[in-house]
Amino acid sequence: MKSPFAYRPRHAPLQDASPGAAVAYLGAIVVVAFLYFNPLILLAAGAAASLAGILAGARTAVRAALKLGLSLALLIAVVNALVTTRGETVVARLGHWPLLGRVDVTLEAIVAGLSYGLVAAATIVAFAVYSACVDPDRVLRALRPLAGRSALTASLVSRLVPVAAADAARLRDAATLRGPGAAPVGKAPLARRLLAGSLDRAVDVAATLELRGYSLDAPRARNRRTSSRYDRRFYAVAALVLVTAVAGRILGADDFQAYPEVSIGLGPATLAVVAVVTLSGLAPWKPPPKRRIIDVRQREVARV
Amino acid sequence: MSELAIRRGAAPALEVQGLGYSYPQAAKRALEDVSLEVAPGEFVLLAGRSASGKSTLLKAACGLVPHFHGGEIEGDVRVAEIDALEAGPGELAAAVGYLAQDPETQVVSTTVAAEIELPLEMRGDAPSDRARAVEEVALALAIPHLLDRAVDTLSGGELQRVALAAALVTRPRLILLDEPTSQLDPVAGDELIWLLRRLNEEWGVAVLLAEHRLERCLAAADRVVAMEGGGIAFDGASGDFLRWSHESDAALSTPAARLFSLAGIAPLPVGVRDARQTLRGTGIGHPPHIASRRVPDPRSTEPVLRAQGLWVELDRGEEMRDVLRGINLEVRPGERVALMGRNGAGKSTLLRTAAGLHEPVAGKLDVESIALLTQNPGDYLVRERVGDELPGDEGMAALRVVGLEHAVDADPRDLSGGERQRLALAIALAGRMKGEQLPAVVALDEPTRGMDRVRKDELGALIRSLAGDVAFVDKEATEATGAAAVVVATHDVEFASAFAERVVLLGEGVVIADGPMEEILSGGWYFATEVARVLDLPGIVTPEQGAAVLKGELG
Repeated sequence: MKSPFAYRPRHAPLQDASPGAAVAYLGAIVVVAFLYFNPLILLAAGAAASLAGILAGARTAVRAALKLGLSLALLIAVVNALVTTRGETVVARLGHWPLLGRVDVTLEAIVAGLSYGLVAAATIVAFAVYSACVDPDRVLRALRPLAGRSALTASLVSRLVPVAAADAARLRDAATLRGPGAAPVGKAPLARRLLAGSLDRAVDVAATLELRGYSLDAPRARNRRTSSRYDRRFYAVAALVLVTAVAGRILGADDFQAYPEVSIGLGPATLAVVAVVTLSGLAPWKPPPKRRIIDVRQREVARV
Repeated sequence: MSELAIRRGAAPALEVQGLGYSYPQAAKRALEDVSLEVAPGEFVLLAGRSASGKSTLLKAACGLVPHFHGGEIEGDVRVAEIDALEAGPGELAAAVGYLAQDPETQVVSTTVAAEIELPLEMRGDAPSDRARAVEEVALALAIPHLLDRAVDTLSGGELQRVALAAALVTRPRLILLDEPTSQLDPVAGDELIWLLRRLNEEWGVAVLLAEHRLERCLAAADRVVAMEGGGIAFDGASGDFLRWSHESDAALSTPAARLFSLAGIAPLPVGVRDARQTLRGTGIGHPPHIASRRVPDPRSTEPVLRAQGLWVELDRGEEMRDVLRGINLEVRPGERVALMGRNGAGKSTLLRTAAGLHEPVAGKLDVESIALLTQNPGDYLVRERVGDELPGDEGMAALRVVGLEHAVDADPRDLSGGERQRLALAIALAGRMKGEQLPAVVALDEPTRGMDRVRKDELGALIRSLAGDVAFVDKEATEATGAAAVVVATHDVEFASAFAERVVLLGEGVVIADGPMEEILSGGWYFATEVARVLDLPGIVTPEQGAAVLKGELG
């Protein structure tokens, strides 16, 4: 079964963009998530990443990342609520717990935990969109002139991961199909077998890379792939998001306080950052092709 | 020699002189005093049993030996005037392409277009040159529709073509292929061989092809080189090779050649067309139509495997797909069934569903008890002693069934390929037998990949003994172990004709033909034996059956 985060080639602006433009765009959203603690702006960053993924056709990746990210956010909120003693609005008194002592769950600790969780969730969604939409081969080739050996290692690993996953699935099946009278497989022998198989596979893949000429000197700059017509759009949106985020920080847009009482600012700077970040999610949008309606009579006239 | 002369093909595509080679820490030499020349534009078939040195010779010709594998080498290897022992595989890539057996490890990129473009990019070709070369090779191999696909969504046949395209995109002088059809169905296998022949004729690429299924490619070859024990045992024309193999190594003979040899007709044919022409010359071009030979109907007993309206859905990368679509099938004790069909027809899925690895989405499948051996027997072997894999009485009983009771203390890695396969089968059987009684169904999924004929014959005999064929086991033993129904998913029509009494042909998840082996394997073109294609007589599929008919005609 293929990972929901695996790259799938599609003809869409984000996939067609050069790796640098795509990384700049998605990276700008991640920077927002790390610069701010205001839940509204973090929600906007998460929404932008999700919107970008959906418009790029990576719905499956976005859905899986949201599940993962929101579960993680919930876990962080629960842990924070249990371990933090700050906050004035107690919502539950859970008595004395071993190691933790007296546990009073406060609304402020829950909200603060959710904010931390939103940082993680927005970042996970952005990385999922990157993984599903940016061709890893193009990234590796872009890196190759800069760091040949690292790119070779990364190429080997990126190819081996799906091969090793397929090997592991096969070994699991074989373990299931062993007769009840055969010795049980056990995790250690299975892991050893998988490792040995992976080494064999690594040799085969490395041989193929060698035959394709990967060990030759890195190609010259003129051979790099030409940029996409969408690159400017993504660089411009990335720059706009970054400038807005930095300016917003300076102007006090991160107006959020969890303790001692929750206070979320809704000033013009905050709202402006929320609007810009959310709208940045539309960058991968591609209008549907215009249908040309040809009047049959006009065509007949033209023919005459 | 000038570059122009090399380009025009004056220099040999491959020159090997006195080549000897040992893998690191190997007790035995893999190649011994090999001398060989492949002329520009020549199509050479490399024949030989397993471990005869074919793969090592191909690896030496593309530079993987010794540059990648290490070891000790002596002699001289030149590819289009380039010294292969000096230059590495990367430098040789412009002159030679290499395609190995397993397509999965031969692709290193995410998309098809990127995979094909990679060697040109590494060479530093300009983007416009790369685009044109990719387009041309894609057109030549009929894969332009695949260019935008992700490689992990391709079938085995498609993946093999993509790997071939990546090997050909640099317009090499020589292409080396190591059993490229071993994982392909007969349709895809035949297509690949004729594609190679076309490229050979139109592009002038010299081809050095190692294969076990010689009947598939002998007619396309200009010359055959047979290897034995690391050296060259024969080097000559296809017709001469058949005469040599008939006298020196019958395991390398083709079914059509065996047919003629048994019938006493000369010369031995290199292919179906050749055989038909010879038969017309002898005046027996149109043998009389004879009635189909029917195997006795075994349907007097209760089925041990019964599928009724079976639907199975699997995730195929982009989406869920119905792989089995309403299969109805019954298999009875002692039946030997070959499950055939194209790649992706649903053969493996049917066996895996019977073994409980997949759940049906509709219909039902009842099976009394089943032992399934999957495509890679090595996956079953996880310990370093046979006895540790199969402890106790149940383990010993399973080892006895496959004839490995003497190997209890051996390391599975020291066993031969055939013995390892039998050990894996014993692991699947252990504990599923009641005393010496076999499970109701024994299933094998593509068990002949990469096997030479000798090993296939051994496997065929084992299958017959498991099914209680009295010709292969003594009567007492049959009664003691009971007869299992044996179901084998295979692409190999010649192997199916050797062991099966019934063939079930699947197409796109449905049963499209089900009947006696002789009827099914003589009633088509792709899923037909070479003898059936030569004689085109209902019910005649093996050389022995064909020879009996021909002798009657001649007599």
